[in-house]
Formats: sequence, C-alpha cells, structure tokens
Amino acid sequence: MAEQELELTGWRKWFAEVGDQCVFFTRFFRNIFKGGFEWSEFIRQCYEIGYRSMMLVGITSFIMGAVLILQLRPSLESFGQVGMLPKTLSVSLIREIGPVITALICAGKISSSIGAELGSMKVTEQIDAMEVSGANPVQYLVVTRILAVTLMVPLLTVIGDVIGLAGGFLALNIKDSVSYTLYLHKCVDSIDFSDFLPAFVKTIFFGFAIGFVGCYKGFNSNKGTESVGLAANSAVVTASLWIFVIDAIAVQVTSILFYK
Amino acid sequence: MEAVKEKKEATTKPKKEAIIVIKGLKKSFGKKKVLKDINLEVDRGENVVVLGKSGEGKSVTIECIVGLLTPDSGSIKVFGDEVTDMNDNQLKELRMKIGFLFQSGALFDSMTVRENLEFPLTRVLKMKNQHEIDERVNEVLDGVGLLDAVDKMPSDLSGGMRKRIGLARTLIIKPEIMLYDEPTTGLDPITSREISELILNMQKKYKTTSIIITHDMECARITSDRVVIMDDGEYIAEGTFESLQKSKNEIAREFFKDIS
Repeated sequence: MAEQELELTGWRKWFAEVGDQCVFFTRFFRNIFKGGFEWSEFIRQCYEIGYRSMMLVGITSFIMGAVLILQLRPSLESFGQVGMLPKTLSVSLIREIGPVITALICAGKISSSIGAELGSMKVTEQIDAMEVSGANPVQYLVVTRILAVTLMVPLLTVIGDVIGLAGGFLALNIKDSVSYTLYLHKCVDSIDFSDFLPAFVKTIFFGFAIGFVGCYKGFNSNKGTESVGLAANSAVVTASLWIFVIDAIAVQVTSILFYK
Repeated sequence: MEAVKEKKEATTKPKKEAIIVIKGLKKSFGKKKVLKDINLEVDRGENVVVLGKSGEGKSVTIECIVGLLTPDSGSIKVFGDEVTDMNDNQLKELRMKIGFLFQSGALFDSMTVRENLEFPLTRVLKMKNQHEIDERVNEVLDGVGLLDAVDKMPSDLSGGMRKRIGLARTLIIKPEIMLYDEPTTGLDPITSREISELILNMQKKYKTTSIIITHDMECARITSDRVVIMDDGEYIAEGTFESLQKSKNEIAREFFKDIS
C-alpha cells in the first residue's frame, strides 16, 4: 500500500501490485453487499459515464461501419460477392469490432477520467477526509463507479453496433442503391444468437476491467500532482491491455461453447 | 537531545481526564524514521498546539490517532480504547467522535458547499429528516460566518473560505475531539488570525478537545492552552505559550525569537 513505501523492484514489485489488486477487489466485493448502497451516486455515474460517452462512441462506430464497408467492397467484389457485404459487416461488427473498439474508446475516456479524478481526490486529501469522517470511500467512490462502467459499456456497445450498421448502410449506398428494409433484413438475418450473446457477455467483463483499473490506479496513487497524470496514463494502458487479454480468452471460450 | 519539561502548575487545578494518551509512538517510512518516541497526553477540553518544522512528522502523529496510518510500535489510547487494536467498525465509531481539519480543507470538489456539509450527516449519522439536516447546515455555516456560500462550489471559494467550510464540515457531526492539520498554512496574516480565533470560538462553543498542528506562532498564541515542540521525531519541550517564550531550549528559542 501507499502507506508503506517499500522499495520493491522487478518481480517482487509485480507480485506486490497483484496482491494489492486482490485486496482492492476484495474490498470492492465486500462493499457491494454492505448496506446503504449509494444509488444517487451510482445513477450520477451512469449518466456521466454512459450518456456523456455516447456521442464519442456513436461517431467512431458510425465511421467504423462506413470504413469497413468501403474496405470490404473491393475484396468481395473480386469474388462477385458484393451481396455479402451486409452480412460480413454485421457479423464482424457485432462479434468483434464493435465490442473491442467501444471498450478501447471507453478505456481511453472513462478509465483515464476515473483514474485522474480519484488520483486528484487522493492528492487533495478528499479520500482521507471521507475516511476520517467515518464515511466509506470505497462504497461511495469505487463500488458506484465500477458498477456503473460494468453496466454502461455493454449498453454503449449495443448502441455503437446499431450506429455502426447505419454507417455501413450509408457507405453501401454510395455506389449501390440498397433499401433500408433489405439492408436491415440481410443484417439481422445473418446474426445468430451465438454471435450476439458471447459478444455481449464479454463487454460486461470489458466494462468491469475498465472501471476496476481506473478506480484501483486512482485510489492507490501517491500523494503528488505528478501521480495524478501517472494514474490516468497507467489506467488507460492497463485497461487497454486487459481488454485484449479478456478478448483472447473470450474467443477461446466462445469457440468451445458455440462453434464446435 | 535533552528534553525540557516546563509544565503548567498542576497542583492548583483539579485533576483532568486524559482522553488522548500516546506512549512510545514510532513510525517510519522506508528507511526514514519520522516518529522516534512520541509521548503525549491531552486532557478533556484542552487545546494542545504541536509546533515543529515542516517534514518533522507533526501530521503523522494525528493521522495515527484517527487510524489513517498504522504506527510501527507504541500505544495510542483515545477515550481509553487502544486505536491500534481497533477493527473497521470500532474505528468508524471512533471517527464519528473525532473531527479532522485537513491542511487544504479537503472539500469534495464535485459537490456544492451544502452537499459537502450534508455528506457526513447522511452517510455517517444516517440522518434522513431534511428539516433537521438544513438546520444543522445553517447552524454550522452561521458559526463560520458563511451562510451565503451554501450553494457555491468549492472552486468558487477563496483559501480562507475553504478552511472555514472544512471546519464547518468537521464540526457538523459535533465531534468531541478536533484535530487540525496546519489550519492557517497558505493564508494571509489577517485571514490566519480570523481562522485561529474561529478555532478558539468553536472550541468554546462545542467544548471540544483539540490538537492543532502548526508552525504559525500567532495561531499557537491564540489557540493554545499548552504547546509541545517537536524536533527530529521527538517532543523536546512542553509548556504554556508564555512559559516557552522564556525557555532555555535552543529550538524553542528559535521558534519564539520573533515573538515580542
């Protein structure tokens, strides 16, 4: 912990960090079930995290959908399979690109802002003030934020997927003329339950990782202004890394369960 | 270093109840020994000022009293209970009786002044009646002379106002003990004097027992019943402000040399 500034290096430092994260996870988990859940703060965080990220996720998803269609068209055209464009887009967007891109955007926007916010609260002794007043800073600051991100990232991903498909529709109509009904029919027809469910479940884990890493880095930052920047930076890097690790694990699990 | 004890004449006064008793307190950060052997008794209703140079560990002592830091060895008894042996619930109960004013005021900067003041009432005292909450908020704001600031954000307040609101927030739960961490640091001499007088007035009004950490001699003169001087992790001199002015201890003389 920050209190005991032990000079650890290499593997020892890494193990100490893992140990600290386990302790932090236990504190988070214990406080979920303690009485007096902070509903008002949870709803405020859902608004801050979910609603305020919607524009960014929407724009990037729209561009991503359009770009994918424009990039896929020449390849599929050479095989005479232009009609496969809606199907290819919807499957790739919903299975992989939508969740991962949305999660990475959220890691950049949300994890860094949580890391910086809690880091600056630590520097300005606000977390200590909360603790010495007898209030529970983990319950008020950590539980609400982690649960809000865990809930909002899957919702943002679904919204991002829909907007991405709209972007694809627009790009498709640059050269072709496809009705919205036909496009939608082809997209929905090609998506199976096994495409949507695993992707949705992994976004819950993405959301948890983003919230947890942001809170952990901010809550355990050192008492100096430099550490606020470090906490924010470290939160983004670590959360992004976790997203890819979770994605790799999710692919394996999905393959075993759904695509035997 | 030779300890100089210049205690008040205790024989003429009735015996008082010591509610904070610190014995042999030691605390290190890495290789740096911050507290070497701290012994202190604070009687009910007494204002004890701890003077010392910056970085001598004055704040560490009061952070150990509220359990924000764990000492390496030694004993801290508050209201007769050993702080170092307390579990989370016992510590929470103790903290409800102790107010801690941080150097920066440590106001929660995402909340208005009203929300800052309501925070300990709703989270710690679990008050639900809005009329009673409003009454308490107005009472403490009136006490610190800032009724007009109730709906302002902390960022709209000056340094002195923040300290006043910080003081109001700690007093709102009506603590029996107040711990002040450099309450006048960073303020101009006029505002410093106002804050010092406010501390004294609040102590009389709420009948608190206080430990005031400072290196502001004017603050020490106004607020102290007893002054303790700290150097190199130990208390080296103790007495009333007036008696220490005549002290032969070199470090004490350094502190008092500009006082007429």
